[in-house]
Amino acid sequence: MSRWAPGDMMAVAASQEIADGDVVVVGLGLPQIAALLAKRTHAPGVTLVLEIGVLGAVSTESSAGIADPRMWKGAQAFGGMIDVLGLLLHGGRVTLGILGALQVDVAGSINSSQVVLEDGSVRRFRGSGGANDVASLAGRVLVVMRHEPRKFKQRVDFLTNPGRLVDGRPREEAGLHGLGTSVIVTDRAVLDVTDAGLVLRSIHPGEDLDSVLAATPVRLDPSGAHETAAPTEDELRLIREELDPHRWYTA
Amino acid sequence: MAAVEDGSSVALGGFAITRCVVAAVHELVRAGKRDLRVIQTTGGLDTDLLAGGGCLSRLVSSGGSLDRFGPLHAVNRRLLAGEIQVDEYSNLAIALRLHAGALGLPFVPTRSMLGSELLDQLLEQEDAVRLERDPFSGKPVVALAPIKPDVAIVHVDRADEAGNAVVGGPTWGLREAACAARETVLLAEEVVPVGSLDPDAITIPGPFVSAVAHVRWAAYPTAAVGLYDYDRQHLEMYVAAAVEGGDAYARYLDEYVYGVDSHEQFLERAGVAL
Repeated sequence: MSRWAPGDMMAVAASQEIADGDVVVVGLGLPQIAALLAKRTHAPGVTLVLEIGVLGAVSTESSAGIADPRMWKGAQAFGGMIDVLGLLLHGGRVTLGILGALQVDVAGSINSSQVVLEDGSVRRFRGSGGANDVASLAGRVLVVMRHEPRKFKQRVDFLTNPGRLVDGRPREEAGLHGLGTSVIVTDRAVLDVTDAGLVLRSIHPGEDLDSVLAATPVRLDPSGAHETAAPTEDELRLIREELDPHRWYTA
Repeated sequence: MAAVEDGSSVALGGFAITRCVVAAVHELVRAGKRDLRVIQTTGGLDTDLLAGGGCLSRLVSSGGSLDRFGPLHAVNRRLLAGEIQVDEYSNLAIALRLHAGALGLPFVPTRSMLGSELLDQLLEQEDAVRLERDPFSGKPVVALAPIKPDVAIVHVDRADEAGNAVVGGPTWGLREAACAARETVLLAEEVVPVGSLDPDAITIPGPFVSAVAHVRWAAYPTAAVGLYDYDRQHLEMYVAAAVEGGDAYARYLDEYVYGVDSHEQFLERAGVAL
């Protein structure tokens, strides 16, 4: 079982960013798998929150999305958006948000709405949902996405969710809470978002520095990069047998 | 659905593929309602049907989808054709606007959407959103105007004859929608006498409710937790028609909406055995 797929490595690296006791807003897919993996390994006290109004979700049943009741099984409490995005998130009790991104920029700002195509037309996606709320208000934000050149921008095409800086200024001056995007986990590397830009923290086993830099067409400081810890047998077993048995998200 | 007139603002209770008010929306499409302004935290099948049926002129929401079954194709098609306006907020911002409407507040402040292009767009599009200064700290804050929809249509598990209603599972923005609207219509799977529901379990209290319609499987083909699952095959069939658009989508509406007189007939045609 020792070889792993890129999705396995992403889930494991993302789970390492989750601390015991974190209250974390997740969506379907890798964010949920990373949070459940953390809960089943080093962070048993983590609480998963779904924006639809579900607290303490632990379901590993394959589902069609956060509106699928399969994803709510085993929850500790139900409420509405005023409860989870209002009292819990706006109130400052959500310590971590895990978001996907169509694009991310050097300030950690996220485009989750729309992409400008080469012919200049705009392709819309599904809207912000609760992602903007999470990026505006969570203690810190972890972005999980594929490492492709078109996804890294100096400035995102559309700023759906604010990052670490707002127009180059500290986000608290803009009235926002939390640190914003702190870490980007991809299928090739782990990147820290700092006030000075993106810093390469680690490269996943099997990847090399030149190809990571080539796939990141923005300024990236590689000076302190080390190798990401490889997934353990136990982590791979949990992902493949229990958390994502159909391999919908981690293959 | 007499409460809904051409031009009404209507809050819908559905979310993606769960508790969509399909029975009511089919009726609105059949009645040929026009120029409806829909308010919904996250759009779902109910909103897509209204868009596809030509009833929708404006959508105020945080977006929407049919989860893994796909995006809201009918909404996107009308949007790209310039036939509808979409005002895109965050989820919390929609819930807060309804909450402020329910509370009768003049506005509600939030930190959500600060520093984003969602906010920039709304400041251009909508008189209902302002970038202000917190009078205490002096920092930027978003002021959201309340929404009091003309009508809210919400799916519930059970309601009594006074409108007290029970909703199992998470409730996203449906409670705020029901409490903010001038008239709230419930689609209840079961209607029971007053006094037979546990007061601890009430999600929507009776004084907010104008009418209760007893409709079984009212959210079908979307899910109602504890009652019935979504119908994967029907949703896939709907999405296939919506992706193709044109005649294929018209055939879907002819078969399942215009070609039936009631929700019971729709269920029968869709193969649901009551």
